[in-house]
Amino acid sequence: MADTTLHSWEYLETLPGTQFYRLYRSPASALAIFRKRLTSLAKSFVMMLLYMPAPLPVKQLELLVKDSSRGEREYAIDLLHRYHIFKDVTYSGVKAYALTPDFARSLRRALTGAGDTRSFGKVATHVPGDQKGTITQLDEYAQQRWEGILGYMVGSSSILLETPSTERQAAMQPSLGVIELLKAGHLIELSGTYSRGQSAKITKEGFAFVLQDINTQIWALLFLYVDNAEVFEMDKVDVLSFLFFISSLELGLAYSTTPLDDTQQRCLSDLVAFGIVYQPMRDDGTPVDYFYPTRLATTLTSDSSTALSTTNTTIGTSLSTSSSSSPTSANTGATKGFIVVETNYRLYAYTSSPLQIALLSLFVNLRSRHPNLVTGKMSKSSVQRAIRAGITADQIISYLTSHAHPQMRRHAQAEQSRNSDHARVVPILPATILDQIHLWQLERDRMTTTPGFLLKDFPNHADYEAPCRYADEIGVLVWKNDKKRMFFVNRIEGVRAFMAERRANAQA
Amino acid sequence: MNAVDASDHFDKPSHEQSPALLTIILDTNPAAWSLLSSTLPFSSAIANLLVFLNAHLAANYANKVAVIASHCDKATWLYPSPTDQKPPPPSSDRNKRSDLSESAKRLRLSNQNGLTTVDLDIKPDPDSASAEAETGNKYRPFRLVEEELLRNLTRLLSSTTAEAVSRSPTTMIAGALTLALSNINREAIAHAESLIGVATASTAAADPSTAAVSSATEATSNSNSLQSRILLVSVSPSTDLAHQYIPIMNAIFACQRLSIPIDVLQLPLPSLTTQPQQQQPNKPSTNTAAATASSSPSPSQPSSSNSTVFLQQAADATHGIFIAAQLPSASASSSSSSSTTTQASQAFLAYLLASLLPPPSTRSAHLILPTRIDVDFRAACFCHRNVVSIGFVCSICLSIFCSVPENGDCLTCGTHLSVGRYGARPVVVARKSKKKHHTASGGKATGQNHTA
Repeated sequence: MADTTLHSWEYLETLPGTQFYRLYRSPASALAIFRKRLTSLAKSFVMMLLYMPAPLPVKQLELLVKDSSRGEREYAIDLLHRYHIFKDVTYSGVKAYALTPDFARSLRRALTGAGDTRSFGKVATHVPGDQKGTITQLDEYAQQRWEGILGYMVGSSSILLETPSTERQAAMQPSLGVIELLKAGHLIELSGTYSRGQSAKITKEGFAFVLQDINTQIWALLFLYVDNAEVFEMDKVDVLSFLFFISSLELGLAYSTTPLDDTQQRCLSDLVAFGIVYQPMRDDGTPVDYFYPTRLATTLTSDSSTALSTTNTTIGTSLSTSSSSSPTSANTGATKGFIVVETNYRLYAYTSSPLQIALLSLFVNLRSRHPNLVTGKMSKSSVQRAIRAGITADQIISYLTSHAHPQMRRHAQAEQSRNSDHARVVPILPATILDQIHLWQLERDRMTTTPGFLLKDFPNHADYEAPCRYADEIGVLVWKNDKKRMFFVNRIEGVRAFMAERRANAQA
Repeated sequence: MNAVDASDHFDKPSHEQSPALLTIILDTNPAAWSLLSSTLPFSSAIANLLVFLNAHLAANYANKVAVIASHCDKATWLYPSPTDQKPPPPSSDRNKRSDLSESAKRLRLSNQNGLTTVDLDIKPDPDSASAEAETGNKYRPFRLVEEELLRNLTRLLSSTTAEAVSRSPTTMIAGALTLALSNINREAIAHAESLIGVATASTAAADPSTAAVSSATEATSNSNSLQSRILLVSVSPSTDLAHQYIPIMNAIFACQRLSIPIDVLQLPLPSLTTQPQQQQPNKPSTNTAAATASSSPSPSQPSSSNSTVFLQQAADATHGIFIAAQLPSASASSSSSSSTTTQASQAFLAYLLASLLPPPSTRSAHLILPTRIDVDFRAACFCHRNVVSIGFVCSICLSIFCSVPENGDCLTCGTHLSVGRYGARPVVVARKSKKKHHTASGGKATGQNHTA
C-alpha cells in the first residue's frame, strides 16, 4: 500500500536527524518510537547498549546473532539508523555502534523515572466527583467522533445507500478543521460552496482509508495533521512529541492541562475533534483545565494486535451497533465481530449500522436487509467494482477478517487444533474465498510498482554477484538478471554501504 | 519474473510481536543477601531489577510481569498483589530496618570475616508516591508496578522475624516455581480466550479482547499465544535446595512440557567466589550451619561450583539460560566499597538487559546467547537428600537412594527390591575361559550336548 498521499510511518523517517534529536529529548517520544517502530531484535540491541559504558564493536554485535538471521540483523540495524538511534563511531580503532546520546538519555529516564521532564502527564487532582468520566463514556465519545468522521466520508459517497434516517444524527458532524484535513489528504473532494450544502465525494484513497483498521486510520490522519502543522504555525516536532505524550497516558484518568504550552494547548483542541482526547466544557463554553485521553489515544503506540484490536472492536463494533442505539442491539455490542462468510460466497452481517452496510456494499451485492442482519453475496463483478474504485484485495480480506463473527473464529481455532501440522495456519475466512478474491484482483491488476533502485553495468561477474547476494540476504532484492548483470533493490542504503566497503577493501 | 518477493519481509517485522509474560522469582533469603551486601546490596539489586522490569514492559504494550519472592520460610507474591490482600499496614521503614538489623547482628556474629552487614533497607522513592503521581516523570504503568512491588516487599521484610531467618536457612524455590506456573497457566488461558473472543459481555470493555489480525495469514496460533518465561534470581548456596528436590523437579518437568524457559541468574556469594577451595570449611560458618552440614555432599563427591545444581538442570531442561554472574567483589579490588557496589550493580543490570531481556521467540530465532555446556546432572536421593552422582534406583517407581534402603524395601512405593549379591566380589573366571578355549577343537560334541 505505497499510497503516497496517505502518510504513514515512513513519513517520520524522512525527517532530518536534528529533528529526531529534538524529538528524542522527550522520554515519552523515545519510549513510543522504541515500542512502536522497532523489531524485537532491534529492541534487544537497544537494551543491550543502553547501559553499556562503551560503544559495541560491530564484530561483537554480529557474534550475538545467528548466521541464519543475518537479514533480520541487517534490517534491525538499518532501522535503528533510519530512526537515528544508532550511530557509527570508531572506538579504539574498530567500527562500533553507539546509541545517540539524546535517545539513550531519554530512554533511561523513561525507564528509571529520573529527571524532571514531566513527560508522562500530570494527573489532575481536582476533578469534581460527579464529572469523572468512566471508560465506557470515553469509549462512547471516541466512537461518536470517529464514526462521525468516517460517516462523513462514506455518507458523502454516491454508491452508498441513502439513509437519511434520524439515526445518523447520533454521529457528530466532523469539525471544519477535520474536513479541511481530509481534503488536504485527498481523501475527499469537495464541490459546491460551503454555504450551499457543500457536497463531498470520497476519493480512491478515501476508500482505501475507510477499510483500514482504526489504528492505521488514526495515524494516517495524524501524520496529515503533522504535515500540515506548519500551516497553522506549529512546529512539526512539537506536535509529534505531543502526540507521543498523549499516547503514553493512561485510559480513564484525568490529566491537567496546566503544564502544557501554547502549541500543546492548540494541539489538544484539535485532538478533541478527532475523538482522541476528551475535554469537558464548562457551562460558559470554555474548556476545563483537564482532559481525558480516550482509547484511541492510549493505543496509539501499542504494538500488539491484541491491544489494537481492542480498539478496533470496542470502537469498531460500536460503529456497527451504537449508531442504531436501540436497546435491542446492546447485546450485539458485546460480541466482537458480526460477519459470517460462507464458502459459497454468501455473506451475513449482523449489523444495522448504515456505515458498516455502506462499507460492505462496496464489494458485496447486498440481497436483503432485516432489522439486525444484512445478507449478500460476493461476486466477480462486485469485487472487481471495488478494485476499480481503488480498494485492494488485501484490504477487503483484512476487513472481513477483523470483523469476522466469533463463530468463525472458533471454527478456525478448532480446525487449527485438529490439524496435526502446526506450521500450517488455518485462516479465519474460508481458503477458497481468500484465493478467489486474490484471483479476481489479479485478473484486472497484473502490475505492481515498487519504487527503488536499479544497479547495472557491473564490470565483471564477481562484482555483480557479491552485492546481489548481499541484497538478497538483507531482504531488499526485488529482481535480478544474472545475464545482464542487473538487479533492483527497494532500499539502497545497506547495499551502498556494502559496495563502498568492498571497494575500500579491494583498494587496500 | 521476480527473483524474490521481499515486500512482505519488509512490512511485517514490527507487527509480529506477541505479548510476553515475564515471571521473576526473586530469592529474598536474608541470610544470603547479607553475605552479598558488601558487593551488591539488596536495595540496589531491587532498583536494577525494577529497571529490567520496566525495560520488559517498554518492549510491548501488552507485556506483563509477575514477581514472586522466594523467601526463607515461604513463597509470596510481590506483584501482582494477591487479590484477597488487606491494605498495607502502616509499617515504617524505620520499623523494618530495626527488625532486620537484629537478624543482621545474628548473621554477623556467625559470619566468619565479620565484615558483612545487612543492608536490606529499600531506598524510599525520592518523591513520595502521591507527589510523583502528580509530576508525571514516570510512565504510569512503570510506576504502578514499582509502587506495588516495593510495598509488598517492604511488608514481607518487615514481617520476617529473626527466628524465621535462623530456623529455615534456605529459600522456597519450589513453592515459588509452582506459584509462577499457576499464574502463567491462568494468564495463558485468559489470553487465549481473549483471542477467540469468548470474553463475557461484562468484561468486554475492560479486557484486552481481540479479534483481529490484520491479515489472515499472520494469524498463526503459535506466534499469537502468550510467551511466558521464568527468571530466577538465585543467591542461596547450592545444596540447600536438596530437600526440595522432588517438587523442584516436578515444576521443571511442567515447564518443559509447557515449553516455558526457566532462566537462572546465579549471584555468587562473595566468600565462595574468592576462595572456592574453602567451600567446605566456610559453609558451616554461616548461620545455615546445621542443615547444610548434614546435607552437604561427602568430600569424595566431585566438588561442585557454587552454582546451584538443580537450577542448572532447570535451565538445561527447559532451554533457558543459566548464568553464574561474576560480580566484582570487594576483597578482590582495592577500590573503595562504594565503587565496588556501583560496579556490581552495573554488572547485574548488564547481565539482565543483555542476555535475559529478549523474549523467547527472538532468542530462539535470532540470538546466540550464553548457555552452559557442563551441566551438573546429579540428583538428590530420596532418603537423606544427599546429592549423588551414582545411586540406587527403584525399578518400580524410579526413586533414587544413596544407599540400599533397609530390608531392600523402597521408601516411596514399598516394593521389596532384591538387590541380588550387591557388594560381592566379582568372580574371576579366567581359568574357566582358558579351558573353554582349549577344548574348542572338539566343540561339536559339547554343542550337541547343549541343545539336547
